[in-house]
Amino acid sequence: MTGTIYTETTIYAAAREFVNDAPYQLVIVTLGDGKRVTGRVEGERVSIDDGVEHAGDRGGVPFFRKL
Amino acid sequence: MRPVAILGIGKTPFGAFPDRDLRSLAVESGQKALADAGLEKEAIEAFYLGNFAGPSFVGQSHLAPFVAGAMGLRGIPCTRVEAACASSGSALFHGVSAVGAGLYEAVLVTGVEKMTSQDTPRVAEILAMAGECCSEGKAGATFPALFAMIAKRHMHQYGTTREHLAAVAVKNHANGARNPDAHLRKAISKEQALNGKPIADPLTVYDCSLVSDGAASVVLCPLDRVRDLSRRQPVQVLGIAQTSDWVGLDRKEDITVFEAVRSAAAKAYSMARVDAARIDVAEVHDCFTIAEIVAVEDLGFAAKGQGGFWSAEGCSALDGDKPVNTSGGLKSKGHPVGATGVAQVCDLVLQVRGEAGERQVRKHDIGLAQNLGGSGASCVVTILAAA
Repeated sequence: MTGTIYTETTIYAAAREFVNDAPYQLVIVTLGDGKRVTGRVEGERVSIDDGVEHAGDRGGVPFFRKL
Repeated sequence: MRPVAILGIGKTPFGAFPDRDLRSLAVESGQKALADAGLEKEAIEAFYLGNFAGPSFVGQSHLAPFVAGAMGLRGIPCTRVEAACASSGSALFHGVSAVGAGLYEAVLVTGVEKMTSQDTPRVAEILAMAGECCSEGKAGATFPALFAMIAKRHMHQYGTTREHLAAVAVKNHANGARNPDAHLRKAISKEQALNGKPIADPLTVYDCSLVSDGAASVVLCPLDRVRDLSRRQPVQVLGIAQTSDWVGLDRKEDITVFEAVRSAAAKAYSMARVDAARIDVAEVHDCFTIAEIVAVEDLGFAAKGQGGFWSAEGCSALDGDKPVNTSGGLKSKGHPVGATGVAQVCDLVLQVRGEAGERQVRKHDIGLAQNLGGSGASCVVTILAAA
């Protein structure tokens, strides 16, 4: 499954459960069918319009990797 | 609907008050509003309380009678209204609707939040509950992160810059420095705003509103009863509307637009029989600097995509064409979430009455308040004028 980055941010001040993950990148990805999903990024940081592929789900959260 | 007036207003200062609890803040603002209205508490026939997360912040539910009892209001209908950061705007909408429908002759509407007893990661966790917990929350989204993603997209589509965001922060802090009840009464420089501690890129700490304690109240009555009830110069609610939209940002076609703001504004303008050009002064929901930029566009003050440029040109400054957030806004006045909607209206009443002191604007016939819930899933727009 691939898509493009609709928007993104890197979070420095996290909610309690995610404090140890910070900084981490949160994204909204537009998938091939036009549907959008909220997820996280693994590996290299991404920017708006970058192509990404689904890198699996962790704890019910989709992770994406830069193409 | 019969016309409704705001007869009295009351606010606590906003800030971090370790010695004050939720109830004492709410009671103080309610008693001040009754005193301002010149009304005895026995005249109040219904009580609406706007509060976002009292159960999470202070461990108390059943908040409306909990607060009303301490004000000496017993036996009347007491209702808590929750719509995230638009909780007390929504409480006001329901209070105005009830008075307008002829159900009551006098209503007290209060907004309150006590936030500072929790540490920052816990506050972020509680605030995140106003988003989609099953997608945004699970992925680790904070509220600054949701608005940061709106800012990134706004910059991408319209060329909005970090300097535009900073201009909003600098203006609101300059106004807040003149507000004796503001949480952070200090002016900041553009350099400070640009170089703040990063929270969620591109937002720094100077783009984010404050975590505050505070309460605000208004007394409502039918316009035609004003003279019987009080000697106070009344302020009429010319228009009020509440609307809604998707909670999750990823459901929206274009996140640089708050559809709920557009539709609430359209309804409120229509009810008030005015357009954006007629608004002299406004309090808008600047939970983040980008939120003010989007709001001034969706309210029709600036063209779509031009909100950043418009703000940086000084159009919304105290001496600009359309002063916005003369109170200092959520950025400097503070943002006790559940109190904010009513507090905006209190500050607007001061402007409309000509009682805003050092921050009084020249032309103040018609004012507008815009209160946003979550990342745009609830919105209340209220238009006021001297009656």
